[in-house]
Amino acid sequence: MSIVTVQLGQCGNQIGHEVFNAICSDVHGTHGLCSKKENESYHEASKERFFSEEKSGVPVARAVLVDMEPKVISQTLSIAARSGCWKYDDRSHFCQKQGSGNNWANGYSVHGPKHKDRIMNLVRKEAEKCDRLSGFFTIMSMAGGTGSGLGAFVTQCLKDAFPASFILNHVIWPYGTGEVIVQNYNSVLTLSHLYRSSDALLVHENDVIHKICAQLMNIKQISFRDVNQVIAHQLGSVFQPIYTGAGPLHYSRSPLGDLMETLVPHPEFKMLGLRNIPQMPENSLAYSTFSWPGLIKHLRQMLIANATMEEGIDWQVRPPRPGSSIPSKHSTSKSLHFNTSIANLVLLRGKDMHSADLEPIFTSTLNLGLKRRTSWTASQLWNKLSPVTPPCDFYKCSQLELYCKTTTLEDLLASTSQNI
Amino acid sequence: MRRARGRALPGAVAALCRALPPRARPAPDTLRRARFDRPQASSHCWRLLCSLLKQVHGGKWTEPDAIDIQIRFIKSVLWYHGYGRPELYRLPSDGSAGSRELLLAFSWLLHRISLLEQLLARNRVRTGDETSVCTCEDDLTNSQKGRTEIAPEYSLEDKVDVRYLQWLHGRLRFQWRSLHALHQEQSKLLHKIHLFTSGSHMDKILGHFSVTETELIRQPENYKQLLQFLESETMQLEAFLEWKQLEQVYWHWMETVLDDMAEEGSMCKSQDAHTMKSMLPKGDSCCHWAGSLVGKIDRLSRDLMTVHDQLQELVTHRKSAWYEKVKTREEELQKEEFCAAARKTQEAVELKLLDLTYHCAPKKPKMHGSCRLVFRSKHSASKTGFGRSVSKEPISTVSATEVIRELQMRKASLERELKQLQEECRQRMDEIAEGLDGVICISP
Repeated sequence: MSIVTVQLGQCGNQIGHEVFNAICSDVHGTHGLCSKKENESYHEASKERFFSEEKSGVPVARAVLVDMEPKVISQTLSIAARSGCWKYDDRSHFCQKQGSGNNWANGYSVHGPKHKDRIMNLVRKEAEKCDRLSGFFTIMSMAGGTGSGLGAFVTQCLKDAFPASFILNHVIWPYGTGEVIVQNYNSVLTLSHLYRSSDALLVHENDVIHKICAQLMNIKQISFRDVNQVIAHQLGSVFQPIYTGAGPLHYSRSPLGDLMETLVPHPEFKMLGLRNIPQMPENSLAYSTFSWPGLIKHLRQMLIANATMEEGIDWQVRPPRPGSSIPSKHSTSKSLHFNTSIANLVLLRGKDMHSADLEPIFTSTLNLGLKRRTSWTASQLWNKLSPVTPPCDFYKCSQLELYCKTTTLEDLLASTSQNI
Repeated sequence: MRRARGRALPGAVAALCRALPPRARPAPDTLRRARFDRPQASSHCWRLLCSLLKQVHGGKWTEPDAIDIQIRFIKSVLWYHGYGRPELYRLPSDGSAGSRELLLAFSWLLHRISLLEQLLARNRVRTGDETSVCTCEDDLTNSQKGRTEIAPEYSLEDKVDVRYLQWLHGRLRFQWRSLHALHQEQSKLLHKIHLFTSGSHMDKILGHFSVTETELIRQPENYKQLLQFLESETMQLEAFLEWKQLEQVYWHWMETVLDDMAEEGSMCKSQDAHTMKSMLPKGDSCCHWAGSLVGKIDRLSRDLMTVHDQLQELVTHRKSAWYEKVKTREEELQKEEFCAAARKTQEAVELKLLDLTYHCAPKKPKMHGSCRLVFRSKHSASKTGFGRSVSKEPISTVSATEVIRELQMRKASLERELKQLQEECRQRMDEIAEGLDGVICISP
């Protein structure tokens, strides 16, 4: 039930730090929304998943930090240790002096093979500490050199060394107007290699998160830290313990496994996206009230209209009626904005989630799997929405939805190569 | 004699009923009344048989279905086990008749599939330390040889999107991985329990607690339930022992029931003669079956002899051809190279010989079934020595390392087979791709 996190590169390490922060503060938060026993078992499960116990009593994150520069790692380690709530293991990090220079080949073909043994040793030590390994969660960005190149190499090694474990890669899609001049090449190379060895790729786009920060969180000067915190919040809401529909009062025994089984069993479709509502600054949470029907309505339209946040949703877009044919070449722009995900998974967290009625989402998402090029008609069975109801926690009232994009690798490569 | 038997019969029937599991335990009277074919007893008998068979076939206790579903289930299970009495299959699906037939079927099952023993084994109180070991050779390869040759007719009506199949296959793979992880966790935790509680058990041979005992320590208030289970199991086992002693009486009684039915049957036999033939594809008389079996055995032994002779011929043929080859090769490689080449060929031959001897060796008795895991530390004086040993009641133990070794050999042979099949598949795909225009086949 434990997940080992591998943080790669500058971006990976910073985001990883924020993720553990978010989880720790969630675990220690007291919100009085559910019974003490439920709270305790939730904390137990969450702790077991991400932290290991040590003699000093401070939970140690199950993570391996990898970077080619020493600066970010030492910063991360010290900030975590200072917080007092949790820390990293002092030995579970690996860094070098020289950096990768935003060069993918440097990361993949030079640093990778050279340092493979040491990195895999660290990973193996972390894995052995777990009573049961659910899988690996790697965090990396696609623009730089270490995260992308070394990350792709490490994922391959993980696959070879642990063939029976799940590997979820979290990739950060760079800004469209990013600073790294070769980011498109790096992205393309990373994606193509990851597609072979990883089980699922969870994509967070910097542009989208930036918009969320600007419009929803009302942050004036958006720094990387704010972006990372939003990402960490979303990731935390995915990975915190959840009840599965099957067993009441039992947390999912295999978090990554359940996720992957529902969303990415097809070997060609591995890209996942994430939608989270509501997203708002913490201090305004106290002043807002939510109702499940309202949230569900928003989420439904977000799903249909392929929107990424709850503001600026195009309410005009409607799903095609069941049985209608695929939009042909002279289709209007409306249907092109239509969401084309294959599988969707809804996670609900909060009070009274049993009363949440997911029917509106369910009935309207049949026939969503329309693909432009081939004559593949989606059957109802492709779209599975399973309400997964977790207990109450920091994510007081939130819904998030993971979806598996229908873009295949070729589409992706085609679209990114247009930017080169 | 008859009086004594008459007194022993209720005892036998009572013992039989007590030995059945608590949920499906009839009153002894039910069985005796069933003999007289009363309609009221019938539906009760159907339900009883249904719950017994469901337990044997691994089903959990669910709400009882409608009577006709139950009847269909019972008939299919009896057919599966080879029950050939047509009168049972002709019974109506509303459960209004047939208690005598059911009595017969029940007794047949008792004998044929050791129903009682199976039920007792299934309802045992678990220690939590069980694991199932199966080192049987799969017979799948032989049964599927015929199927791969013939490609099915492709009909355009039943289209299944291949991507849906890929989806399902992917799901299966992920579920297998989750299961693998769960098994690993279970072994790790079991190891911990055994390690931490070693030296604390009353039974010095075992030396450590089982999962159930550990659970009891953590939650002592559950002892009442456990005690109840154990008591009920003990009672069932005692009843079973009693039954074993009084069995004969029961079978005599069954014979009388059969005689009665034969008398009645012969009166309406003429009507049912041709329906009987149409209902059952194979003959239901014992002698006919035995006779055909003997004929089959004769044929097989004859075939075996001819194949053996052919093999001998082939072997001598090959040996002579081989010696010729070796002689010519020796003359060619008169120089130094001969020694190196000879060594290499010798090694290859030895490997192949090992492989062959493994395949042809008389099969060791394969282990099958569930065993209890017992932890043995390195320093204990047991003959199994290092690692954990697996012991089955009664005391027949097998060391875990042996089982692991056997399973590894099996894994290696399966991998070889997989490689071979992949190679064949690749060749076939290449052939097909050559036939098609403008298609290149890139195999993984």
